Amino acid sequence: MRIILTLLGKDFANLRRNRSALVLSFMVPMVIIYVVGLVFGLGRSDSGPSGIPLAVVNQSDNPAAQKLVAALQAEKSFHVITEFVNPDRTIRPLTETDLRPLIRDRRFSYALVIPPDVLSETQLGLHLKILSDPRNDIESQTVNGLLQKTIFTHVPDLLGQSLQARAKKFLGNPKLSEFNGSIATAVAKAFGGDPAKIKADIEQGNFGLEELAASPAKPGAASSTGGDILSKLVKIDTEQVVGKDVKSPTATRIVGGYAVMFLLFALSNSSAAFFSEKNSGVFQRVLSAPVSRAQLLWSRFFYGILFGLIQLLALFFAGHLLYGVDVFGHFGNLLVVCACVAAACTSFGMLLSALTRSPEAAASLATLLVITMSACGGAWFPVSFMPEFMQHIARFTIVYWAIDGFGGVLWAGNSFGQMLPTLGILLSITAVAMTIAVWRFNRSRIFD
Amino acid sequence: MLTLDHITKRYGSLTALDDVSLNIAPGEFFGLLGPNGAGKSTLMSLIASLRAPDAGGITLDGIALSTADAAGRLTLGLVPQHIALYLELNPEQNLGIFGQLYGLRGADLRARIDEALDAVQLNDRRRDQVKTFSGGMQRRLNLAAALLHRPKLLLCDEPTVGVDPQSRNAIFEYLERLNREGLTIIYSTHYMEEATRLCSRIGIIDHGKILALGTLDELLTQLPFEEEIRFSANAATATLAPALAVQGELTTHDGIHRFRPRAGAKLSEFYSLTESRGLPARLFTSQRPTLEALFLHLTGRTIRE
Repeated sequence: MRIILTLLGKDFANLRRNRSALVLSFMVPMVIIYVVGLVFGLGRSDSGPSGIPLAVVNQSDNPAAQKLVAALQAEKSFHVITEFVNPDRTIRPLTETDLRPLIRDRRFSYALVIPPDVLSETQLGLHLKILSDPRNDIESQTVNGLLQKTIFTHVPDLLGQSLQARAKKFLGNPKLSEFNGSIATAVAKAFGGDPAKIKADIEQGNFGLEELAASPAKPGAASSTGGDILSKLVKIDTEQVVGKDVKSPTATRIVGGYAVMFLLFALSNSSAAFFSEKNSGVFQRVLSAPVSRAQLLWSRFFYGILFGLIQLLALFFAGHLLYGVDVFGHFGNLLVVCACVAAACTSFGMLLSALTRSPEAAASLATLLVITMSACGGAWFPVSFMPEFMQHIARFTIVYWAIDGFGGVLWAGNSFGQMLPTLGILLSITAVAMTIAVWRFNRSRIFD
Repeated sequence: MLTLDHITKRYGSLTALDDVSLNIAPGEFFGLLGPNGAGKSTLMSLIASLRAPDAGGITLDGIALSTADAAGRLTLGLVPQHIALYLELNPEQNLGIFGQLYGLRGADLRARIDEALDAVQLNDRRRDQVKTFSGGMQRRLNLAAALLHRPKLLLCDEPTVGVDPQSRNAIFEYLERLNREGLTIIYSTHYMEEATRLCSRIGIIDHGKILALGTLDELLTQLPFEEEIRFSANAATATLAPALAVQGELTTHDGIHRFRPRAGAKLSEFYSLTESRGLPARLFTSQRPTLEALFLHLTGRTIRE
């Protein structure tokens, strides 16, 4: 028993000394649990997505339409945009014609138009219009669901008014008043209440539909919930502004996200090879030749870019073969984005090598950061599913901008000029990371 | 050929080299002998221009060496302490890479790779991964990689660490041949026997200072005795010790007395003394003093401490 205890103690002593194993065993899973938990609403009072930009153009003068806008503004999942800032900084209400170019510019991905004929005498229910850039299909489905929920929950009187308008077309005003009076009398007789008040409610479209909309589905019921009934009363015209011709939107998103995650892993591991070359004396030998430190670092940087380019293109080709991701339609631009992403990922790997003191430390820090960046940056699920503070953090990750770049090329078919802001950010990340890395390399003793 | 002029190198508060001056003549096989941490590798790295000294300068054939001057390194070859090779690659690929770093190309490079692999007897393993080689084979290839560009000055930083005796001997023979052919070699080691066998001149270094410099004979004359007499420390010889202390220096280590007569003392006096005490001559062995004795004399400790 004493021997077993001694050996047991040895294992724990080794574990305690092995920071890499500790990080991988405890820190990494904790980070994943935290991020995934946030996405699924754990530990948050307000679960679900938040702050998704939604442009709203209200062309109707119906007071209930304004009530719908107010309800959307109150919905924490949305950040409602109703105004347009002119180049001269003056502000005016958004119009429908503003929406398409703004969606293409990625100012927002979803827009709701409440048309003048939101209520029509010729059609039962509401008429709304949604313009979208559904590059992220999960987010898109969620936004549609949230819009329907908001409409049903907050503006059932619009639906009631629609019924009244339709009835008025068929019956005419006098007969509709008579009809409403009969209904009110029958309701009062059956359930009690003031027939005059009930009639006034009916005429205003207040049928108590909010209770129907809010009624939960019975367990095991296949359909027929209140929501299902109401959904038939809302006619939504949808217009996909961006990515109409993309055959496989899901694959386009997934391949890009996972490709950049694995590229980060590969390049981080490759940069850890710095340490083995240092420890083996290869650096000494190379630097004793007519080779400068700068040449050594640049060769490593260019290797990273070329390796990254090959890996990303191989994964996109796999996506093309397996799921029909359109790689060849925008090959030139895809190549440029891949090169910029590879440069950013390489600089990240070199920065890790410069900041750490051993290959084990570099590997464990890389795992922690790559997984965190992938989770926060949108490789696994839409960024909008995370709390707003995490959405801000996402913008500091390579993964976020890589996915943005891939989406811009493969989903939106952006031109080189349209991609410049994203490429600029990726190259800025590269420049900052490389500057710090080179500064650290020159100060550290990795070359000694 | 190589001149080190008052070189000082510090790492924070640690002075790794303290005002070291040295001249190496062409064709010399110079040994740098000292324990681990003495400053040997730092000195090697300064000569190889891997680091810059904090004070002093280094010139090779009258031209100053510096970390910024890559061209100056063309005449240098470095055999690092570790196996500085790409273990996943084969010898041909390794030598090809290092040769290209020195500007070798095409047929010239291929010819030199053949020549180098022949010289270190690895031609038959030229396409095997280096990681499959024995330690001795890797060491030989490590040496070959430093010679591909035919340097004028070869820096060997403890090149035989962890090598079996057979491979060590092969390396020695190769280095001796290269030196006979005119190559200047600086060889750092903490093995006395390596320095004794190989080097025409030796510098003893400790705590960043060159303590002694010269040929083996010149160094040994710095000792205050010319030979050392050893005998077992036992009851029979116990009475001898106090009497010998008057005639010279007596130290005892691991049950062995080491007696070093004062300079000018006559051995006949020693043997008269032992004879008078009934101790036969066979109990005593006399030998020429070694570098180890010199190191002990200079530093007050053995080289392995």
